[in-house]
Amino acid sequence: MATQEKVDVAIVGAGPSGAIFADVLARAGKKVVVLEFGPDWDYKQFVSSEIWGRRIKHAPPFQSTGRNPSGHGSNAGWGTGGAMIHFFANWPRMAPVDFKVKSQYGKGLDWPISYDDLLPWFDRAADDIGVSGNAQAERRWYPVGKDYPMPPLKSFKQGDIFNEAFAKHGYPLAPMPVAINSTEYKGRPACVNCGWCHVGCASGAHGTPLVSHLRDARARGAQVRPFSYVTRVLTNQSGDRVTGVEYYDAKREQHVQPAGVVVLAAYAAETPRIMFNSATDRHPKGLANKNELVGKYLMCHTAANVWALFDEDVQNYMGTQANQFMSYEHYDNKTRPSKGFGSIFLRTGAAMKPNVGLASARPDLFGAPLADFMKRAARGLTRIGIFGEQMPLLENRVELASDKDEFGLPIARITHSYDADAIGSWEYGREEAFAIAKAANPKEVWRGGGPGTAHLIGGTIMGTDASNSVTNSYGQTHELANLYIAGAGLFPTEGSVNPTNTIMAVTLRGAEHMAKNFSTIAS
Amino acid sequence: MDNIGRRTFVRGATAGALAFTVGGVEVLLLPSEARAQKVPLKILSADEALRLEAVSETLVPGARDAGIAHFIDQQCSVPPHEALLGIRINNARPPFVNFYRAALNAIDTACQAQHGKPFAQLTAQEQTAFIGTMRVGKHPDWKGPPPQGAIYGAFRADAVDVVYGTVEGFEKLGVPYMALVAPKARW
Repeated sequence: MATQEKVDVAIVGAGPSGAIFADVLARAGKKVVVLEFGPDWDYKQFVSSEIWGRRIKHAPPFQSTGRNPSGHGSNAGWGTGGAMIHFFANWPRMAPVDFKVKSQYGKGLDWPISYDDLLPWFDRAADDIGVSGNAQAERRWYPVGKDYPMPPLKSFKQGDIFNEAFAKHGYPLAPMPVAINSTEYKGRPACVNCGWCHVGCASGAHGTPLVSHLRDARARGAQVRPFSYVTRVLTNQSGDRVTGVEYYDAKREQHVQPAGVVVLAAYAAETPRIMFNSATDRHPKGLANKNELVGKYLMCHTAANVWALFDEDVQNYMGTQANQFMSYEHYDNKTRPSKGFGSIFLRTGAAMKPNVGLASARPDLFGAPLADFMKRAARGLTRIGIFGEQMPLLENRVELASDKDEFGLPIARITHSYDADAIGSWEYGREEAFAIAKAANPKEVWRGGGPGTAHLIGGTIMGTDASNSVTNSYGQTHELANLYIAGAGLFPTEGSVNPTNTIMAVTLRGAEHMAKNFSTIAS
Repeated sequence: MDNIGRRTFVRGATAGALAFTVGGVEVLLLPSEARAQKVPLKILSADEALRLEAVSETLVPGARDAGIAHFIDQQCSVPPHEALLGIRINNARPPFVNFYRAALNAIDTACQAQHGKPFAQLTAQEQTAFIGTMRVGKHPDWKGPPPQGAIYGAFRADAVDVVYGTVEGFEKLGVPYMALVAPKARW
């Protein structure tokens, strides 16, 4: 086992959260190492193919169980940039109501911070990553700080075709804010609407860590070590400080990386797993887990689609995987009679490719009927997507499985089920979308299956103190002052929107707090 | 369509080529070309390839000629972290060929129990009916794993990949491919 030279900060995971910590701490003059279990990508090498695009998706081995098992493997990212290199670039934010669900509705949990605490960080995230949108159109629903750096993307008929139907049904639309350049931005080109966002954008128009925080962190001296598989966080003898991490490199040789501070940014399944596998006699249940909350309150978004097939060319083969339009109307009405509990979020107007888009619209078809459908769908298919909110439940969790990885360490077991509230919201959202789609007069309209499991959130939640959470609002664990957690795992509730914008705002806030207080935290 | 002129179209390019070994030399070929040239399989037996082709062709017409067996064979022969199979991101554990072998055996075991012959020897009508029942997981004498629905989903997605997920597939559908980086490089 080789022991590396001590650094100020060791970061586990080179996704968006790890990249932000690396950038902010390197900017503050700290010596930073980022350990990433996948390869180091150059975005210019990404290949425009849904088949090739699987190369950038992967998670360490895990088990998935429960009534609604999480599709974590297709959500996760493999390599530098993390899941953000294949995300669809939708950039909505959690709304003010999402941060006080327990106080306002008597269900779920409260965040230890409010929307207003994050507002300046939403602005900062938009500037850093490059966001196109119309802030004024969103202000009817929630406060938006500054205008977005770029105007909205061009819209296409796949989205425009629903505008009137949404309005008639009481869901006014606004342009979806997206982390894609509508104009040249900070030396990166404008999007050409090729629709290959989900397999890795080779132009740099797609906002990812590879063209922002990770690139900048490297320029400031942060070192990124790909193919580094972290197995444990190490602690001192008294168990009150972390001292670094243990990992295997690409040659399967073991290393110790001493560090003043450790940041776990390995996504909502792997971060708890590392904490469990780091158990010592001082931390027999795993690190920062005296209250047994590590791994708990895992959440997914209920995912549904309503599909509509038109005779006319709706230009679905071009545009972006990001949606063109969204609606937060009725978002605050989490309570509804007999139809579950939780917000729903409607969006529409995204490009489709054959496998992820067209063929998945009718999974029941095969043989000649599938071939016929593919031809009709190639220019005529579009959809309305719906995310629904799930409340944090203790029984949805990450724990260690009996199966082991190649190094003999237990893998993660993810247990996930929707309760009646989530199922009710999913059904309600799907019926609302169905009514809207039908009003646009397509030749055919149908409900997709589900509920699917989109995103993976919670598991290491933030809160006011150790009685209700794993970390404080900055991601600093209550038990170990120099162990931080970053990413969606910190969220006590999830709202019903794509999480990346809120992840970045929370992470920027935590990273800047660490930079300002580094001497206290690391001492 | 005002942005159309800025895109790179790759109509006719060898998009989706994989590395196959022909006469001891590694060459880039489409799976369909590898099949037409009778490139030797690395992992699957000839019998397994025929069985895989029969199931895949029933799921997605054109899968046989598009080279589904060579596609799966080549993808099972590369290091697991390089594989581009849908089952990789759906949490299958390598070696991935085990999934395909178990699936083909489960299908043929059920076919033998119901029809007294393997899937590839059923009539087209029987094959369609068998797949329809497998899709909804209703074969009573199933000897999985894998479960019936998982096989349906995975085999169907693979077949969609080779038939529609290439430049040629987009041409069949009559829509432009619009690659930023054409998929010519070794996968």
